[in-house]
Amino acid sequence: MSGSRARRQAVVTGLGVVAPNGVGTEAFWKAVQQGEFVLGPVTREGCTELPLKVAGEVAGFDPADLVEDRFLVQTDRFTHFAMAAADMALDEAHLATDPESPFAIGVVTAAGSGGGEFGQRELQELWGRGPQFVGPYQSIAWFYAASTGQISIRGGFQGPCGVLCDDEAGGLDVFAHAARAIARGTDAMVAGATEAPLAPYSAVCQLGYRELSLAERPRGAYLPFTADACGFAPAEGGAMFVVEEAEAARRRGAPVRAEVAGHAATFTGTRDWADSREGLARAAKAALAEAGCAPEEVDVVFADALGVPAADQAEALAISDALGRRAASVPVTAPKTGFGRAYAAAAALDAAAAVLALEHGVVPPTPNVAEVRHDLDVVTGEARSAPLRTALVLGRGLMGCNAALVLRRAGDGPH
Amino acid sequence: MTDALNAPAQGQVTFEELAGLMKARAGLTVDPARMAADPSTTFEELSLDSLGLLGIVAELENRYGCRIGEEAETCRTPHAFLANVNAQLANHR
Repeated sequence: MSGSRARRQAVVTGLGVVAPNGVGTEAFWKAVQQGEFVLGPVTREGCTELPLKVAGEVAGFDPADLVEDRFLVQTDRFTHFAMAAADMALDEAHLATDPESPFAIGVVTAAGSGGGEFGQRELQELWGRGPQFVGPYQSIAWFYAASTGQISIRGGFQGPCGVLCDDEAGGLDVFAHAARAIARGTDAMVAGATEAPLAPYSAVCQLGYRELSLAERPRGAYLPFTADACGFAPAEGGAMFVVEEAEAARRRGAPVRAEVAGHAATFTGTRDWADSREGLARAAKAALAEAGCAPEEVDVVFADALGVPAADQAEALAISDALGRRAASVPVTAPKTGFGRAYAAAAALDAAAAVLALEHGVVPPTPNVAEVRHDLDVVTGEARSAPLRTALVLGRGLMGCNAALVLRRAGDGPH
Repeated sequence: MTDALNAPAQGQVTFEELAGLMKARAGLTVDPARMAADPSTTFEELSLDSLGLLGIVAELENRYGCRIGEEAETCRTPHAFLANVNAQLANHR
């Protein structure tokens, strides 16, 4: 893979974000940089009586402002997020389909929750009023593939399309998928992940996760790397990117936001979070090797930060295994402690924060986290200014997938 | 069936009702007068996909308490669709 990637380098030329702490890249970055804390009570209809009390809800998002009715009626909220974020990313990249070459752009998304709200509504019609009251769009709206399909149809993107249903790690794996499509000849990929798990059926499904935080106080719900870690608070939203072949971007004068320098994925199952240490370390090492990046060159780590003591310990050890001596001094951050963990979209939001951090030369803080119990330089409190060239983003799934992504500041080739 | 396809679109279900269903079931804003005026306009030109038409058929079945034959779902134009549906509804009564 690295041979062909060297010839056709994948770069990020646009990003779009719909997150609990901000809709739009600017609002998101402002909140992330300031370490804004927006976790709060779950208020979505049908969810308020559940044992799950704290989550990151997206506020101030009206899909009708951003997406045509005909796409809204046939899609779930997670696809509304995806279509809106894809539009933002395409706007930033000044990219649209060329009717002369519709196969030049493809789409890949990751999703772990699917269209639970839409699906529940239709199933309630099925059992409440009968099969003749179930709308035909049920056949496509609940499905994990819905966002990829609708972005492709709506934008006229007929290049390679894919969907990853591989856990939280999917939000990083989409970059590898996009880079591979680009290496094989596609000019650009619309890639990313969005989730809308804050609906009754979806929320009830999550109650089976022992890692889910059932804390009642927002400030006490999601505290990774601390002695008070008690699981994670879920969130909705996500991020979409335009990943483009570097030369194609240069030809059309599109500014390069970051290089997709390396990626690797592993699987360590669900037996024990301690097992994720080796998987995550191997993924990080392989991603750095693909990027041609030595551990000393990693300027910031965006941690998975699950918030379960054994998982946090495994991640701290994995960072140490992968980075050696650099592990104790590299700034580690987890902006998601401010707004929650949006399953596959959590990793995509981390990638968005990483691109913005590299651009601004700022390591954003880990909101609401103070006393770190691991041998890591977790950035708490204020953001830290630093010249950043290389970011390592880590992601782990509740079902055992691990992934690492290396992003490099635009114009800073391998050293 | 041939009679149904050749019959005029006038009948129980009007272009106004069809336009309302296209809005409610498929999110499409369509001018019923323009749809009525041009028999050659296709559902495809109006951006209605096959699943959208299927939803409209189901809604009409629920409203009129009558099963509508599958050929209605294969009609390419609003005129052919209403002719088919209205012929079926007329036979039902």
